[in-house]
Amino acid sequence: MTNLRRAVGVVAALYLLAVWLDAVRVTAVERVLPPPARQFVQVAELFPTAAPFVIDWRARGWSCATHQFAEIDLRPLFPIRPNDKESRFARAMFFYRRERPVLEALDDFVTRAHNRLEPDNPIGGVLLLSLRIPIPPPGSAVERYQRRPIEEYPATVERHVWYTTSPAERQARCTEGP
Amino acid sequence: MKGRALAALGRWVDAPQPIERLAFLRIVIPLATLGFLSSRLIHAPDWLGTRAFHVPCLGHEDWRQAACLPALPDALAWAIAIATVIAGVALAIGFLTRAAALAFASLVIYLVLSDRLEAFTVTKIAPALSLALAASACGARYGVDAWRARRKAGAGAQPTHARGGVIRFFQVFLIVMYSGSGLAKLRGGWLSSDVLWSHVHDDYQSWVAWTLVRILPGAGWQALQYLTLAFEVGAPLWFAYRRTRLPALFVGLGMHAMIGLMFGPVVWFALLMAGLLVGSYAPEAWLLRLFRARAAA
Repeated sequence: MTNLRRAVGVVAALYLLAVWLDAVRVTAVERVLPPPARQFVQVAELFPTAAPFVIDWRARGWSCATHQFAEIDLRPLFPIRPNDKESRFARAMFFYRRERPVLEALDDFVTRAHNRLEPDNPIGGVLLLSLRIPIPPPGSAVERYQRRPIEEYPATVERHVWYTTSPAERQARCTEGP
Repeated sequence: MKGRALAALGRWVDAPQPIERLAFLRIVIPLATLGFLSSRLIHAPDWLGTRAFHVPCLGHEDWRQAACLPALPDALAWAIAIATVIAGVALAIGFLTRAAALAFASLVIYLVLSDRLEAFTVTKIAPALSLALAASACGARYGVDAWRARRKAGAGAQPTHARGGVIRFFQVFLIVMYSGSGLAKLRGGWLSSDVLWSHVHDDYQSWVAWTLVRILPGAGWQALQYLTLAFEVGAPLWFAYRRTRLPALFVGLGMHAMIGLMFGPVVWFALLMAGLLVGSYAPEAWLLRLFRARAAA
């Protein structure tokens, strides 16, 4: 029993050490721990740097009827915390915006789910983008955050496109139908 | 010298602690975790099931994809969600406490590994905290197990203290979290840029945050930033010394209250950390009054 208690104590101490070392960026922790265990020690490095912008993740759908991109409401497709940055769409874009296979999977998911929900208004693909909303200096007059359609943001808000469905794919999907 | 130091460490770790600390943590940890998970659990098929968006297996080692687990049939997704709630509630009420703590930890580990998109600090620390509860006597009093044991054995003396090891774990865990986080902030931009101000403008912004944005001058944000930094970096000192422990407890609770009030969904993390602070460092008399007054009522 004493040996078991000691072993549990050693494991607990190693866990605490790993959490602390990871927070202070000792990279040996990443090298030593297998990936599944790493997630559980990457917990203490919270908001270390300033956000350069407010980032809002959005999507436009390619309308099969008008052959133009128009913003689509993703909230019904991602019902978990749909109105904030904990939405699955925002998280997927945050983590994987540079990972082509994930963006293709998102394209496929959003197109199918949208066409299932709105069969009379099908889309053939998506344009995934982020809005980079500038943060004013401290103490200045600021508007309260509110979600607005993309078009309502002024030109000072940068639109950064991360992914667009290819024209051939859009055409093929629109021809196939929902 | 080394032997004496080890013996002193052993005495510090094993020093008995009031059982109320464990009972308090047994209630707070699963309930705050379930509170966080609630907005996900009610959408189990849109989280774990086949109708959700799942990140495809990238096929290479990726820090964001610790494991590559398949989507579940909707019925199984619901079963896992319900089992998580049952295990968490059973742990909170002290029913089959050890088994409930192990089941809760295992289920939350699965939830974290199965989907990076819904893994946040609360669920990443909950398994370790629940496993610590499983290793403790947290069900020995103020719960269903304790009530059943008393009914079986008759009214006798109830445990007032438990071996201190697990409480020490929670106490050190908090210090590790604060000082690790504080040093990361120190190395980041908390001395040179307006980090706190920069994080109150997005969709986390609550009414309280918006009010502060309007009324607090720039220097006020800097002051809050430095206070946070001093508290977190100095946490090992503030909590080690008896004289600074109580002020540190109040500063910590104030900080978590601000976080919970200002950043919408982060409220569950704030509640979990505040609960850990109270359970680990609140004066013994407070916890005794809380539990024994309730038991007497």
